[in-house]
Amino acid sequence: MTRTFTRREFGGLVASTTAISALASTGAFAAGESVRLIWWGNPDRDKRTNDVIDLYMKQTGTEVVPETYGWNDYWQKLATQAAGRNLPDLIQMDYRYIFEYARRQQLAALDDYVGKTLELADFDPNQLASGKVDGHLYGISMGANSMTYVYDQAVLGKVGVELPDPTKWTNEDFEKIGMEVKDKLPDGMFFVQNMGSVEPRLETWMRQRGKALYTEDGTIGYEVEDLADFFTYWKDLQDKGLTPPADVQSQDADGKMETSMIVTGKSLFGFIHSNQLVANQKLMPDEINITMIPNLTGGQPGQYLKPSMLLSMAATSSDKDAAAALMNFFITNPDANKILQIERGVSGDASVREELITGLSPTEKMVIDYLDIVATSVGPLPPPPPKNAGELELALRPAWDAISFEQVTPADGAKKYYDDAVAILARA
Amino acid sequence: MATLTETAGRRRAAPALGDRIRRELRRSGPGYLFLLPWLIGFFVLTLGPTLASLYLSFTNYDLLTTPRWTGLGNYEYAFTQDERLGNALRVTFTYVLWSVPLKLAAALGLAMVLDRSVRAVGIYRATFYLPSLLGASVAIAVLWRQIFGGEGLVNQLLATVGIHGPAWVSHPSYALSTLVILAVWQFGSPMIIFLAGLRQIPQDLYEAASMEGASGWRQFWKITLPLLAPVIFFNLVLQTIEGFKAFTQAFIVSGGTGGPIDSTLFYSLYLYQEAFANFRMGYASALAWILLVIIAVFTAVAFGTSKYWVYYEDEGR
Repeated sequence: MTRTFTRREFGGLVASTTAISALASTGAFAAGESVRLIWWGNPDRDKRTNDVIDLYMKQTGTEVVPETYGWNDYWQKLATQAAGRNLPDLIQMDYRYIFEYARRQQLAALDDYVGKTLELADFDPNQLASGKVDGHLYGISMGANSMTYVYDQAVLGKVGVELPDPTKWTNEDFEKIGMEVKDKLPDGMFFVQNMGSVEPRLETWMRQRGKALYTEDGTIGYEVEDLADFFTYWKDLQDKGLTPPADVQSQDADGKMETSMIVTGKSLFGFIHSNQLVANQKLMPDEINITMIPNLTGGQPGQYLKPSMLLSMAATSSDKDAAAALMNFFITNPDANKILQIERGVSGDASVREELITGLSPTEKMVIDYLDIVATSVGPLPPPPPKNAGELELALRPAWDAISFEQVTPADGAKKYYDDAVAILARA
Repeated sequence: MATLTETAGRRRAAPALGDRIRRELRRSGPGYLFLLPWLIGFFVLTLGPTLASLYLSFTNYDLLTTPRWTGLGNYEYAFTQDERLGNALRVTFTYVLWSVPLKLAAALGLAMVLDRSVRAVGIYRATFYLPSLLGASVAIAVLWRQIFGGEGLVNQLLATVGIHGPAWVSHPSYALSTLVILAVWQFGSPMIIFLAGLRQIPQDLYEAASMEGASGWRQFWKITLPLLAPVIFFNLVLQTIEGFKAFTQAFIVSGGTGGPIDSTLFYSLYLYQEAFANFRMGYASALAWILLVIIAVFTAVAFGTSKYWVYYEDEGR
């Protein structure tokens, strides 16, 4: 038996339902002054960053809302947020992407804050310049780093090998050592992870030949033969049994530190950036150390000191002053940097560096020593990457996989990638 | 209470339009009012974005700046120049053409087994149904990547009999197969539907056939399948559409790359990469509409051919 509502009863029902749902939604609008911060990282960096955030919240009472993702997911997440005009106030930026985001008006220019909220008097001018796009400052470098070959020091000691002078050793030296030790390595461990799809390694390869990944005007900075040599070199190492076989290596597809070949005990040598040493060490029981990328015999220095990451501010940030204050805290505050230390790289702020030197662990001292050595043998910072450069890095993996799974020869694979790269860069 | 003469008068004159509208609103007005939340959701969250993506498919949109009109440029690129799209289509079609028949076969097979009154059939039914509830989740996909990985469960089991298996999930020849297995493993939900369909077939048909001396296989072919045809058709269309839309499994198992060498580059994963990794939302929107057309064509073909093999009870054929 249905009951008919009178008009009054019905109106009352609707009104009360609306009121209840309105009450429920006010919670979402309750946010007062708060700053959102997003970064990519690893477990160690996440812990340090969250500790700094807690310290800041205690000291100033401003609420800070953190967000963090792995490297692969980070840029897709950021792009989605940018599309929704919902970028966090402070964004950890990479040298490759800062140009894309700045030129698309997604980042706020920081020039007005320098000298006021951003106390950058002690900041290294070269490092500061690395965050400039088209003459304006869009990001502050959170630390300098450079590429490295990381290796398991304990295992190296056990097979009785001494590494030669890092600034002088060559690809041939590297291979020779590999052939000597490959049968003495523990079960399942290969000499080196395969770097056929590692773009920073490709970059040093090109720089050693006096070329570069990209030119100033955004075209490819090398010839297809250089790329073919690179692929041939790594395929050769794979065939000689110095790198894990194709299917084992390609398990490292998601770029997470926890699944890299060296951390999972499958290779003696791996590739990381110098600031990742501390986090990497925390994931491994054996002691690890870093050394420079092997050189090309008779070539030029391949490495350079790059800003490991930059801290930028979103153009759509609702409270830029609060965001700038938090940015300053991260970059210059001594207590904050005692927590962050050099996990993100060696700070460009001289006063921070001085404070930190005394409290560093042996692993961290390794990083500083390493950068001192590298600084004697570096080339200049490369020009900013062009638009679509991110896509080129992504495309390198399937291109290399086709070679390592022997679907194409290194020469053919190089030609295909080269043609694709030219097309990608030319694409709108 | 209206008098007899008043009622008679009202019946003779046609009711005015305003009266008719008012009567209709009074009858179904409250219904629409209650539907309003869903209607708003439909227009704002489904229809609106769908139409927006149609517009975007004719533009270059990098998510960060305003879209720029390019007309049919995206579609042209998709049909004439995009190699990876060919890969994606190949992978997706292979996946659908393998997983759907296998899944339906497993579903039907097990439904027939469970149809005979097995003891504790409820427990079996629930156990087989469970994967299809959880299967599309991220957690299961992560687990799958582990199980079929280099040192995963499968290889450990193989090692006990002395076989050294490759890393299934990161080998271009096998990665897609692991995803097909994952799909077939979720046969539970079509199985439940088949069970319901089987229950509706009158038992006396089977009894009559047995008396005539028909073998089990013949009974299956001549009684079960034709009478189950509508259910098979329903499951076929549904599973094919789902197969084309598959995303989560490929994304997790390949680490977001569609690899190795694009061997697990499902269409929707490629679309996602174009939209969010390569900043080409306009092109991705075009891809989405192309997928819509593909699925629509498949569905239309299925419906078109259905009159040759699907018999409905009420059609007196």
